[in-house]
Amino acid sequence: MPTDVPTAPHVPLPASILSQGPNLIVSIHAALDDEQLERLQRDLLERVGRDRCRGILIDVAALDVLDSFAARTLADLAYMAQLRGARTVVVGIAPDVAMTLVRLGVRIPLTQTALDLEEGLEWLGT
Amino acid sequence: MASEAVRGDQPYDERVVVELVPVLRRVVGARIKDPHTVEDLVQETLARLMSSSRRVDPDKLHQYAAVTARHVVATYAERNDRARNRSHLLADPSDAPPPTEDLLLQEDREFVAAALERLSAEDRDLLVAHEVQGQDTTTMAAELGSTPGAVAARLSRARASLRVEYLLAAEAIDPPSDRCRPVLRALSSSDRRRQRELDASGHLLECETCSQLADRLFERRGQPAEDGVVRVPVSRDADVVTARQQGREVAARAGFSTSAQTLVATAISEISRNIVKFADRGEVAISLVTEDGRQGVRVVARDVGPGIADPDVALRDGYSTYHGLGLGLPGAKRLMDRFHLSSVPGEGTTVTMEKWLT
Amino acid sequence: MTDETSTPTGAEGDRGDELLLPELVAHLRDHRTQLRQQWAERITDAHLLSSMTNQEVFSEATSVYDNYVEVLETGSVKALQHYARDLSERIIPRGVETHEVIGIVLLLRDVLARSLFEKYRDDFELLNRVLDAYEPAANRIANTVAVSFVEQRERVIRDQQDALLELSTPVLQVRERLLILPIIGVLDQTRAQQLTEQLLHGIRAHRAKLVVIDVTGVPDMDENVANSLVDTVTASRLMGADVIITGLSSEIAQTLVTIGVDLSKMHTVGDLQGGIEEAERQLGFRVSKVPDAD
Repeated sequence: MPTDVPTAPHVPLPASILSQGPNLIVSIHAALDDEQLERLQRDLLERVGRDRCRGILIDVAALDVLDSFAARTLADLAYMAQLRGARTVVVGIAPDVAMTLVRLGVRIPLTQTALDLEEGLEWLGT
Repeated sequence: MASEAVRGDQPYDERVVVELVPVLRRVVGARIKDPHTVEDLVQETLARLMSSSRRVDPDKLHQYAAVTARHVVATYAERNDRARNRSHLLADPSDAPPPTEDLLLQEDREFVAAALERLSAEDRDLLVAHEVQGQDTTTMAAELGSTPGAVAARLSRARASLRVEYLLAAEAIDPPSDRCRPVLRALSSSDRRRQRELDASGHLLECETCSQLADRLFERRGQPAEDGVVRVPVSRDADVVTARQQGREVAARAGFSTSAQTLVATAISEISRNIVKFADRGEVAISLVTEDGRQGVRVVARDVGPGIADPDVALRDGYSTYHGLGLGLPGAKRLMDRFHLSSVPGEGTTVTMEKWLT
Repeated sequence: MTDETSTPTGAEGDRGDELLLPELVAHLRDHRTQLRQQWAERITDAHLLSSMTNQEVFSEATSVYDNYVEVLETGSVKALQHYARDLSERIIPRGVETHEVIGIVLLLRDVLARSLFEKYRDDFELLNRVLDAYEPAANRIANTVAVSFVEQRERVIRDQQDALLELSTPVLQVRERLLILPIIGVLDQTRAQQLTEQLLHGIRAHRAKLVVIDVTGVPDMDENVANSLVDTVTASRLMGADVIITGLSSEIAQTLVTIGVDLSKMHTVGDLQGGIEEAERQLGFRVSKVPDAD
């Protein structure tokens, strides 16, 4: 049950990070709480530095809620990754989620977005 | 006191036990019609009393014996799947089986003794007259110059108080504030009006002790408590996720489209995050509401915390005291149809918001 | 007595009354052909169900009659309810109105009451008891049919409204990855939100990369609606689709500027034709350009 998302730091995140060429493909499987989102952000930035990645693709299709904190965290990630030489694209934002983000007041697209994995990879140039 | 009651392991004087028999017959006889069953249950009660390793003050023995007899009767009734039919005889007139039964069945007589001790003389007399001496409410009402209904209500309150005192004794807890006892008693007796007067849920947020005791009294956590209200305690990050998932479920039950469900869930996410960031703990209560035949969802988020000095400023876009977009409160307000924020600096904040089916 | 809750057999009285309903049912069965004919004629005379042919009226009348007798006999309206819903579904599209349905049920009640009167007129006291037993059941039947009809009618109206709303904001696919959303008529906030929802689902379903929103047919736009339009563009972008807006009148452009919308961030093209050409150019441009792009 996603209601029992574990929070202890040693518990793995409900997300997988795959290295594919110069890119990191991140797929989120279940709802993340704030602490987990921040941990994901840290992990990714660490790997960008370590592996000299050129791109990050984050698939959020499994998320039924993206609130202002999640939006901010993704935007910060994109900005900081950019400073380390990697571009970020968020894919799979569901229609309901997109509309809610806009109503919430997220007026500017926070990062590059694409419809799905395929489009995202195309944008990253693989 | 209970501690004085311990007399080692000497068996009871047989005469003392024999004296108990008529009392027990009355207690059991008041609840069970069949004379053979009455006799069986009296014997069972005596056996339990005799086999008990704990000894109590002979002065209180009658009371303990009576309470034990009630347990034996209750167990019997449950065994026969008749608990419900007889609940009006066995316990509170309310439908729900009182949470006491499980607790009392632990047969910790000392706790019951201590609990009885803490009741007002009036309540104690009432309980003893009814439960031990087997007086019915009509007789009692005649003696007190009252009505049977009023006596029944007072009995119910006395039992509720007994439950609370029992729990306090069993947990060896001394309530930290003067408000604790009245609040717990109001909760125990399911007296909504009194709960509101005392702001019981507000107190539960403030008082760790009572919050835990209330959980024990009702096993409230994660359950739809009164009137189908879903309550989610919020104190850490993961609770935000739980709260919004519960909100989505309630919205789905109200017949909201998935996009409206997403709006509600996201608004809950924003306001419960505020509890985690700014307050020690709080609660999100989600319920279905109707108005003019329209269906809606109401979310009430309350916390115990520093409060918000200037709600108008907090509702402005871009106002953020933590690492965020500053869209939390104003964003949630935009997602919902109605939104109200009230806050007392130093005490806490309550956000009430509603979404209606169009 | 018009108490809805009383069952046909619930009438109090001496033991003879229990036999009254079965007797009544037997009477209605025996005279089925004749009574049904009378009823159909009265319906035609009263110009009810005028949109239906005589044959149709007669066939429905037969079914209602049989259901009617069944309710009297069993005391259960379940089957009648089911039939009434079914009937309503068939006759609502034919333009049958509520008053017609209530009218025909009342007529049947009248026809049957008259026939009972005829049968028992020599024994006034018995007639009274028969009518006492008959009336609550008849009222309950009339009620069931009318309520089923009205409920069905409301449902049909709701469905039609939903269908209309959908029709008024069609999302069209002109070519692969390109959607067109021509908006015609007055936009209010509800419709603007519905439109956004449809567009976003359309983007996902068609894997659209570009959307042309044409507002040539929109006469006016207030501040709220203008903001909704901006929201639509933003939400589409979050899903990975770019938006071109065409047909902005100078008045609407004025509104957008007044409320602080940065038109330079919105991709606008004069008319729909130009918008589509621009979109195709962009799609083609991308396909050929991406491999070289940084």
